[in-house]
Amino acid sequence: MQVDLEQMNTWLARMLSIRYFEDRVAGARDKGLVPGLPHLSHGAEAVAVGICHHLDADTDRITGSHRSHAAALAAGVPPVQMFGELTGRHCGLSGGMGGTQHIIAPESGFLCSNGIVGAQVPLAAGAALSAKSLASGGVAVAFFGDGAINQGAVSESMNLAATLGLPLLFVAENNGVSQSTGSASVSAGPGITARARALAMPAEQVDGRSVVQVSLATERMIRWVRDSGQPALLEAFCTRLSGHFYGDGREQEGEHPDDPIMVASEYMLKLGAEPESIKALEVRIGEKMDAAWAEALASPPATVGDYQAICGAIGL
Amino acid sequence: MTQKTYSYAAALAHALDQAMAVDARVVLLGEDIREGVFGATNGLAKKYDPSRVLDMPISETAFTGMAVGAAMTGLRPVVEIMFCDFMGVCFDQIINQAAKARFLSGGRLTLPLVIRTTMGAGDGSGAMHSQSLAHLLTSVPGLRVAMPSTPADAAGLLLAAIADDGPVIFFEHKGLYAVEGPLDEVIEPIPFGEARQVLRGSDVTLVALSAMVKVAETAADTLAEQGISADIIDPRTVSPIDMAAITESVERTGRLVVVDEGAARCGLAADIAAAVQQQAFAALKAPVQMVTPPHTPVPYARAAESAWLPDAEAVIGAVKRTLSQSIIGSM
Repeated sequence: MQVDLEQMNTWLARMLSIRYFEDRVAGARDKGLVPGLPHLSHGAEAVAVGICHHLDADTDRITGSHRSHAAALAAGVPPVQMFGELTGRHCGLSGGMGGTQHIIAPESGFLCSNGIVGAQVPLAAGAALSAKSLASGGVAVAFFGDGAINQGAVSESMNLAATLGLPLLFVAENNGVSQSTGSASVSAGPGITARARALAMPAEQVDGRSVVQVSLATERMIRWVRDSGQPALLEAFCTRLSGHFYGDGREQEGEHPDDPIMVASEYMLKLGAEPESIKALEVRIGEKMDAAWAEALASPPATVGDYQAICGAIGL
Repeated sequence: MTQKTYSYAAALAHALDQAMAVDARVVLLGEDIREGVFGATNGLAKKYDPSRVLDMPISETAFTGMAVGAAMTGLRPVVEIMFCDFMGVCFDQIINQAAKARFLSGGRLTLPLVIRTTMGAGDGSGAMHSQSLAHLLTSVPGLRVAMPSTPADAAGLLLAAIADDGPVIFFEHKGLYAVEGPLDEVIEPIPFGEARQVLRGSDVTLVALSAMVKVAETAADTLAEQGISADIIDPRTVSPIDMAAITESVERTGRLVVVDEGAARCGLAADIAAAVQQQAFAALKAPVQMVTPPHTPVPYARAAESAWLPDAEAVIGAVKRTLSQSIIGSM
């Protein structure tokens, strides 16, 4: 199964946007412009892009983990507002009150990311319950990692979604590490899909380095979830290229064969793309991210008054 | 307005019915709620579509979290956590997810979620089915907390909680479910943060919460026979709390006794005592007294549990202590 160059071009542009967005976040953290611990999605861009391609921001709802810049951007969250949030500025999604682990953009279909591993999964079950109860036609997608599979919140939600019949796609991004502990050494049994199948939930595995493969698998599974109103699980294997959080000294140096951007570029060359056109796309996306970064930095940092106004608005 | 007599449990069911009848987005979920363990959801499974009264697996984390997510996306869920002791199981979903979502969204999200739960000792349920944990939830910014003491307050506050666009934790005392009282057929919501003046008096202020209101009333009857006039305030909600009503009373009486079944340390009694000392220190004629259980788990054996619970005698003792002391006299 092949996809055409035009589609590949769109997907590569999205993956590059995510990569370059996060490169700028990393650079800004080095300069002290991003407080806290940004957990970068380097290596998982194809999973986010391949899945979000099949979602409708008006009716579908995504919840993400602490490592969800990629999913948020792939869902269509504007980079300027993301930059603004990560640098604690007025133009940020939440006016700078949330930060990197609390990306909240329901207007883009991205309900929230989360500071607690696995906690976003029950929230996605709630979005699925709303879609079902309000007959919106929407589905929910919960992104989580292989580390989260050992959280009760995740196993409980799988059982709950299956028993209630909720239109919910569980997306396990399996990068093999639970923070810095090898997941295999802390996870019993034959794996994540086996846990879903034990609940009679359809489950598939996919090469998460390939946006093409992720998209094909997602198309099938999302259609099934939407039509049947039942949950399913997709396990996508990918490699974490950037450490647990940026600056922890675990970044992969240089080019990596599992880099989904390289995998996509090579696929495009095989389809007959000109290397120059890919270069040109990289330059164009880089310039776009530079412009978004500059626009975000032009916005003033959130003030104590902004914080107080938000508290006042919600009765705190 | 037509009034009828309702038990506390029936009043809650009546309020849920009234809310569900006018708004299809109100859905109930919890363990065994179709059957109804305490009677607060009686009759609703029969009356409403099965999709609106949902029995849950014994997975407090998943179903509480599901309710949080549903509240973010258009429903107005009312969750039942059968005993507040079980909140330990799903505390992340309450204190991190429900409590912080509106703030973290910069005020863009609403979170119309009610978590109903039970509290209270006195029925021999033991240490894991008898706690009163309202203080834990009150300490978390972003949660509103109610603890009604009468059928009418329970019904009116529950309606207000369901109409609220933020998360509310609603504490129902197990020992009050059978208590009867008058209730309007058409219930009016009672705003949060408005205390109820239970009894008007001049010698001492008793601030009492939940089932302790009745204990304070019993104590006040005895005190009245001895010529001591007690003012009783039931805050009804502790987040927000009507400090104005409490300080107004203390300014009239000069003496305060706080009665709570929750924690002896870092609890609501300590919180109210501290706030009064900050806001009305000059009015106090004697040190504030707190009547709480001892700082131990709730014991099971009848005699021990009974001794553990604050009673009218303990309240009377505290009132006598405050009347016999004087800040000015001791200086």
